[in-house]
Amino acid sequence: MKNLDSLRNRIIKESSSNLPCITISSGTCGQARGSLKVIQAFQDALEKHKLEDKISIKVTGCHGFCEAEPNIIIYPDEIFYHNVDPEDAEEIILETVMNKKIIDRLIYSDIITGEKTPSFQDISFYKKQYRLIMGNNSLIDPTSIDDYLFVGGYKSLEKVLSQMNSEQVIDAVKKSGLRGRGGGGFPTGYKWSFCKKTPGDFKYIICNADEGDPGAYMDRSLLEGNPHSVLEGMIIGAFAIGAREGWIYVREEYPLAVKNITLAINQARELDLLGKDILGSGFDFDIKIAKGAGAFVCGEETALIASIEGKRGVPRQRPPFPVQKGLRNKPTNINNVETWANIPLIIDKGADWFASIGSEKSKGTKIFSLVGKVQDTGLVEVPMGISLREIIYDIGRGIPDGRRFKAVQTGGPSGGCIPKELINLPIDYDSLTQAGSIMGSGGLIVMDESTCMVDIAKYFLTFLLDESCGKCLPCRKGIQKMLEIVTDITNGNGKEEDLKTLEELAYVIQDTSLCGLGQTAPNSVLSTLRYFRQEYLDHINKKRCDAAVCKNIISSPCQHTCPIDTEAPLYIALIARKRYEESLDVIKSENPFASVVARVCHHPCESKCRAGEAGKPVSIRGLKRFVTDYGLKNGLCLQTDSTVDKNKEKVAIIGSGPAGLTCAFYLAKKGYQATVFEKLSVVGGMLTTAIPKFRLPREILNADLEFIKSSGFEIQTEKELGRDFTIQELYDQNFKAIFIATGGHQSWKLGIPGEDSKGVLYGLEVLKDINMDREIKIGKKVGIVGGGNSAVDAARALLRKGLSDTVTIYYRRTINEMPAYQEEIDAALEEGIEIKFLTSPTKIISKNGVLKGCEFVKMELGEVDASGRRKPIPIEGSKFIAELDNLIVAISEYPDTSFLDKGTELQVTEGGNIVVDTETLQTTQNGIFAGGDIVMASNTVIQAIAAGKIASESIEQFLKGEKVKREYKLNRPSKYIEPLELSEEELQEIRSQIMPYLSPEERKSNFGEVELGFEEEQAIKEAKLCLRCDLETKEGQQFLEELKNEKEEARKNA
Amino acid sequence: MPNIKIDGIDFEAPEGWTILEAAKFLGLEIPTLCYNEGLTSWGGCRLCVVEIGKDDNTRLVSSCTYLVEEGLNIRTASRRVIRARKVLIELLIASCPTSKTIQDLAAKFGVQKVRFKPDWEDCIYCGLCVRMCEEQMDAKAIGFVERGGKLRITTPFDRRSDVCRLCGACMYICPTCQLRCDGPNPQNLVCGGCLNTLQPTCLEYYDDYMCYEGLKGDCGTCIREEPEKIKKTRRIK
Repeated sequence: MKNLDSLRNRIIKESSSNLPCITISSGTCGQARGSLKVIQAFQDALEKHKLEDKISIKVTGCHGFCEAEPNIIIYPDEIFYHNVDPEDAEEIILETVMNKKIIDRLIYSDIITGEKTPSFQDISFYKKQYRLIMGNNSLIDPTSIDDYLFVGGYKSLEKVLSQMNSEQVIDAVKKSGLRGRGGGGFPTGYKWSFCKKTPGDFKYIICNADEGDPGAYMDRSLLEGNPHSVLEGMIIGAFAIGAREGWIYVREEYPLAVKNITLAINQARELDLLGKDILGSGFDFDIKIAKGAGAFVCGEETALIASIEGKRGVPRQRPPFPVQKGLRNKPTNINNVETWANIPLIIDKGADWFASIGSEKSKGTKIFSLVGKVQDTGLVEVPMGISLREIIYDIGRGIPDGRRFKAVQTGGPSGGCIPKELINLPIDYDSLTQAGSIMGSGGLIVMDESTCMVDIAKYFLTFLLDESCGKCLPCRKGIQKMLEIVTDITNGNGKEEDLKTLEELAYVIQDTSLCGLGQTAPNSVLSTLRYFRQEYLDHINKKRCDAAVCKNIISSPCQHTCPIDTEAPLYIALIARKRYEESLDVIKSENPFASVVARVCHHPCESKCRAGEAGKPVSIRGLKRFVTDYGLKNGLCLQTDSTVDKNKEKVAIIGSGPAGLTCAFYLAKKGYQATVFEKLSVVGGMLTTAIPKFRLPREILNADLEFIKSSGFEIQTEKELGRDFTIQELYDQNFKAIFIATGGHQSWKLGIPGEDSKGVLYGLEVLKDINMDREIKIGKKVGIVGGGNSAVDAARALLRKGLSDTVTIYYRRTINEMPAYQEEIDAALEEGIEIKFLTSPTKIISKNGVLKGCEFVKMELGEVDASGRRKPIPIEGSKFIAELDNLIVAISEYPDTSFLDKGTELQVTEGGNIVVDTETLQTTQNGIFAGGDIVMASNTVIQAIAAGKIASESIEQFLKGEKVKREYKLNRPSKYIEPLELSEEELQEIRSQIMPYLSPEERKSNFGEVELGFEEEQAIKEAKLCLRCDLETKEGQQFLEELKNEKEEARKNA
Repeated sequence: MPNIKIDGIDFEAPEGWTILEAAKFLGLEIPTLCYNEGLTSWGGCRLCVVEIGKDDNTRLVSSCTYLVEEGLNIRTASRRVIRARKVLIELLIASCPTSKTIQDLAAKFGVQKVRFKPDWEDCIYCGLCVRMCEEQMDAKAIGFVERGGKLRITTPFDRRSDVCRLCGACMYICPTCQLRCDGPNPQNLVCGGCLNTLQPTCLEYYDDYMCYEGLKGDCGTCIREEPEKIKKTRRIK
């Protein structure tokens, strides 16, 4: 028998491996990112500097790290450069290759730790991988068989042909535990032995490269990057089974893969590795290529066979299985690309070695394509049984943009969604099946909180409806009907019984479909129904899509996200048309605290703004502020009419914060006689006591308070519940309903030794003293513990007081997790406030009961917890002491409910919150409602206002004797405004406007408002940035249509 | 010859028979739609599914394409089969409510309501016409085009076919070309199935003009009329 040793030795001898080598990743994805230009640039640079003999360039297949394409690895030092531009080529050659100097900007750096890693092996993306199959992709030129022989290619084939018989090969594959990588997971060795045992004079083997899952591309990458490994596997398989002919069924839309595999087949034929009498062993085998037209269903083996035979790619009944009756009715063995690529490894390194990798029932490694909402996307090859967490967080480095992980979709359209609760799930065939998904060909689509699971189900159903062959009724019609039901739900027209219908239909489709496509088609619906049923119910019952994706439910994401349904797109459109008064009316109609909210709202609307997906979101709050300021300046909407009816019922409202006042305002508007009881001498609650003046000037707050008071309710200050009156007394005074909104004013303690020392203060109290212009005693060195707004506000207010030299904030996580508003954190840092991240207090050091300092410990971020945030863990031996005069604790607040009457039936949680029905804010005692911070700690202003509004609705229903129930309807703007038609130039010109601020120097020493608000011109420009999502609904489209017709009509008449 | 068990009956079926043939031989009824004795089995409508296997390890297969094999345990009307059948009939009605064949199936298997939106299509893509044209008429004038939701049956390139002899065999065998009786309520997805399930129940004969089908009350729809009306007609008579 011939062998390739002499050839291989010659290649090794002649090779230029002692030269430094630059390998350039140039698969289809690399080429799409411009790798061809990079290659050209390197060649030009070598020519220019006459270094062709000293440095070699190798164009390889995909290195797997898609996020970093085009990337290069420089051997022998294995330096990894990512996102290389053609302009970098010369520098890389001269600096890195010749002078061994590493170019800083091109090496990979960790976003979180900032750590820079030049070596390819040490990069987090590659570190945890086990690249048995993909590894050679970055070493060899796929168009050169010499490269493959150089890395030991075709050794396994030689071993098989010279030392083994077919039984031994099949036994080895059986023993290795290799299972089909195409998704089904059938043990490969057994399939082979069935095919071998089937009598027949002519047998076929087929390589299934009809990869069609959205987001999966590992087969393509293998065929492009290492085609000979697939060929070698196939030749060994053919020998074991006794097949005479092999087929590779590959998609026409993989041109590079087709090109490389065709070339590889020709090269193999030249070396006697294919054709008659392979390597003189007397074994004949050849491989042909069949190009598929891209039908997903042709990945199903019987449809694939039909397609090769030239028929319609339609599946047929199994049994008979292809191993019994396949291509041209001959026994046929079909395996996936990745399965074939595993065979040479098993023969070379032994079945036992292979079986030692992976989990109990799934052996070896698996290539996954990690895509979606994850930092580092790419092809990752990991041992079976690795957890999802390791893949997503250690290799993929988690979710970008500080969003939270929600679910991961595995196995393509036939697979299912795995929720975040199962993030520790070990990934193998069986665990995935158990979790309601499948391995499939290895797609992993990571989803964050901005993904709507109903929409995902809809997407996959749409895909499957297009790709179903249409032969069998349940698959064709069933998927269509499922899609119709799911679409109805995403349009807000769903009914609760739809879910039952959906499930029954899904089970029947699974049960009765002819092939795997139909049998697995309902998985996306079933798994999302299993893990995210609440999301479906929210769409149906509450007409809510929290991810703000389903257009016909949300209308526009900003309005949908706003707790009080502010019609942002409407008032923005009005600003763009300079109709400020109307705009103000729109804002004030939903929000009595318009000016306040325009300054202090945490604007969840902007976080969902579509314009923000590619650039900056529209500054919705800034625009609102422009309009409310315009109103104040021009004396618009400063008062409202009192419509209180003396014959209507009396309602008591306890607490005059935003929740209480809003409730009183709306009740008064409805005609009820509301009375607000306030403990302090001033009204406004947290707005007055906690929010510093430089964020909310008092004249602005007072203007809003005046507007609210003009609705005609009564306010009694310095009346505290429990001290001055009881709930029973309120009933005695003929109050018919009560709304409790006393807020949360008790600061949580740190719970560390020494906290009772003198000098330990609490954030809210400090703010209250400053805001109410009381005298405060504060030392020179102040430390603040916490990461919320009260911590940052306290720091900024103290800075302005000018009593202390240094103000330092200590926070136990990083800036990414800090709950304070981003603008505030940035402003604080600008003003020179130091924030020490990853630092937590452990002990307060005091002398004679007076605080002298505090002991802190450094933290590091550990494993991700169920909330998707990384947990801070103390670093041992990192304790340090900071000398302080005062320590302000501002970690969080809780409500004080000690004032409640002993006799009431109000239920209170352990945390001190009043128990309410979150839908109606009805407490456990009939007629008493509660909202704001007393119900849910750390509420925001806008949520408090929303609570007040909901309470006013519920109280009205209660007083009318109706069933207290919250009504939900689809969000729609009250009217549509014609969109502005912007010219190309205008579009080019319009940029996101920057809100004017006082410079840090100007603002540091006084309490003047920091933000200055948009100028008119700025506001108009900013308003023009709005994408007008509200016009995308059915009604919006209808409006545009009518508008068009009207214009047409007008033109005709003219 | 393989020994099989159908609905508890032990049976030695000839090699090469399908489950459907064996069941028919034994007089067990399995509904079919895309199956015809004179044509090759297609297995597309899935109405003929039966449950095979033992204990927990069972699955549904189409009996018209599944060949009998040694030790096969078959149930033709298990709970799982019936649930599947009913949903399949619902899907059929939703796609083509005007077909008499489908309405008859619905009546027979007690499908009384349809939870899906009707499509009012003319075709259920059972492929009988395609096979008829190819296998019995030897014409191959029509075939399937496209896939999934866009599936159609047509001549090559939608042109008038040269090989079509206008024999009409495709229409002869089509299960949807025979229209249902509209009955009193043509908008109803399920037609009421009076012809199948109800014996003539007319209390009174109407005159010829009063009956939709000129059946003089044979069909049983008249029973839905209000009693007053019936009295009135009686008087007229």
